[in-house]
Amino acid sequence: MIAQIWQYVLGGVVDGAIFALVAAGFVLIYQVTGIINFAQGEFVMVGGMTAASLAAAGMPPLGAAAIAVLVAACVGALSYLLAIRPARAATGVTLIFITLGLDVALRGLALFVWGTNPYSLPAFSGGNAVKLFGGALPPQAMWVLGTDLIVFAALYLFFARTYAGTAVRAAVANPPIASTFGIPLRTFAFASFVVAAAIGGLGGVVITPIPGVQYDAGLTYGLAGFVAAVLGGLDSLPGALLGGFVLGIVEHVAGGLLSPGWEQGVGFLILVLVLVLRPQGLLGRAVRRA
Amino acid sequence: MTVAVSATTLEVRGVSMRFGGVLAVDDVTFAARTGEVLGVMGPNGAGKTTLFNVISGVQRPTAGAVSLGPVPLTGHSVDRIASLGVTRTFQTPVMFWGLTVRESIAVALAAREFGGSYPPPPARALLVAGLGTQGRRRADAVLNERADALLASAGLAHMGDRATESLAFGEERLLELARALAVEPVVLLLDEPLSGLNPEEVEDVLTLVRAARTAGVAVLLVEHAVGELLSVADRVVVLDHGRKIAEGTPSAVAADPLVIDAYIGDELE
Repeated sequence: MIAQIWQYVLGGVVDGAIFALVAAGFVLIYQVTGIINFAQGEFVMVGGMTAASLAAAGMPPLGAAAIAVLVAACVGALSYLLAIRPARAATGVTLIFITLGLDVALRGLALFVWGTNPYSLPAFSGGNAVKLFGGALPPQAMWVLGTDLIVFAALYLFFARTYAGTAVRAAVANPPIASTFGIPLRTFAFASFVVAAAIGGLGGVVITPIPGVQYDAGLTYGLAGFVAAVLGGLDSLPGALLGGFVLGIVEHVAGGLLSPGWEQGVGFLILVLVLVLRPQGLLGRAVRRA
Repeated sequence: MTVAVSATTLEVRGVSMRFGGVLAVDDVTFAARTGEVLGVMGPNGAGKTTLFNVISGVQRPTAGAVSLGPVPLTGHSVDRIASLGVTRTFQTPVMFWGLTVRESIAVALAAREFGGSYPPPPARALLVAGLGTQGRRRADAVLNERADALLASAGLAHMGDRATESLAFGEERLLELARALAVEPVVLLLDEPLSGLNPEEVEDVLTLVRAARTAGVAVLLVEHAVGELLSVADRVVVLDHGRKIAEGTPSAVAADPLVIDAYIGDELE
């Protein structure tokens, strides 16, 4: 029984790693623009679908992966320029509807481009399953976890140690004052979409060898990433990391013990509990702006 | 990017700002020269803050234009205008909570570095400190030195490590002013920098304003404390009900019957 639960936990860690990447996208965009981008999961789908279809066409995996991340970043850039920027005078609820529309539009576009067939991508490296205290992880899981490590370390270094990161933090803390320093708020908003989309796309590329991907895969990733971001705190990147793993593990264990159909139900139960008990999330601050 | 600084730095030409049926600023024209303090006075509701909002890009004027030397400012965003050298403070100082006093200045300095209008080039803004080049470490040392120098000039030299939350109101005001000077403005708009200060703090702020003038900044000063305004300003523009009713030296303006009328009329209302 314990061994069984441990195996569920390991599976949850892999899922959680992707949820954390999607949550990081939610947090980045929310912090810089104040927008909750419900199209976030579609960037994962675009990354996975692009890589899988290019690999199916015979491209070497590394090249396919690189192009997939680039395509996802471009989708993020176009999403901002075509859907968000023209509505920059709009307020919260309107912008939420816009991102929901964007989500549906991107999924529809994927259906048009790739059809309904599921795609798969070969694992990046062969070899045996990785044994860990009696549990087992597929070799691809190491790529997924390594991606998390690199992405979150890069985000940390950027925000904590670069002038550009300091400028972004100033813009987040207090946009009107930051703009009097000459900090370009709109450029940062654009960049937040591009980076969030690239991170999502990268997540899609590394996770796809495990569950495969089809045109509507983004919905699941997006909702899970949103729950993870709220759980961790919408204004906290460490919160996104923590929230992703907690959600992945809890969902997987609950799904394993009850039935797989319960996974998402448990996720939403967590969302409701967080919103009632600790709306600022595990690591978030109660008040976002002065 | 450097801005050619001519004797006339900031030009406001025929600016009007209408909110619904109210003409908050009505066809106002004036210029501010480099190295002068230009006082902007007028009774409540005269349009002073609206004028500042138009100059700094918060609001786009209904008519007219603002330019910095040959560079038009109207229509640009606040951050673009700031990166061209026009920055401002607000009636209530706004701090970055959670930062120390020195960090508050460093943020503005870092933003300036990032903006690319100051060497080193913007690519260096992405280099990670500590893992970066020697040049980056030098730039960091220079940054800290400049932050401390600015704090010293504002009389906050010993407060670099204090949390901004622990500052008194007057100290916040001085920090805000030092922070605005950190971005090396060509034009500095100060919106009531003396309100709520005790006489000593007023003197500290005026000393900073005079130092900025000496450094070649064109300082536009909106202030209700008329005595202090007239004492520090080189020239004064007077607004009433959105219109410019007088412009000239402090003594000439103070003796202008139209100005006296506007202020006394305001008090009787």
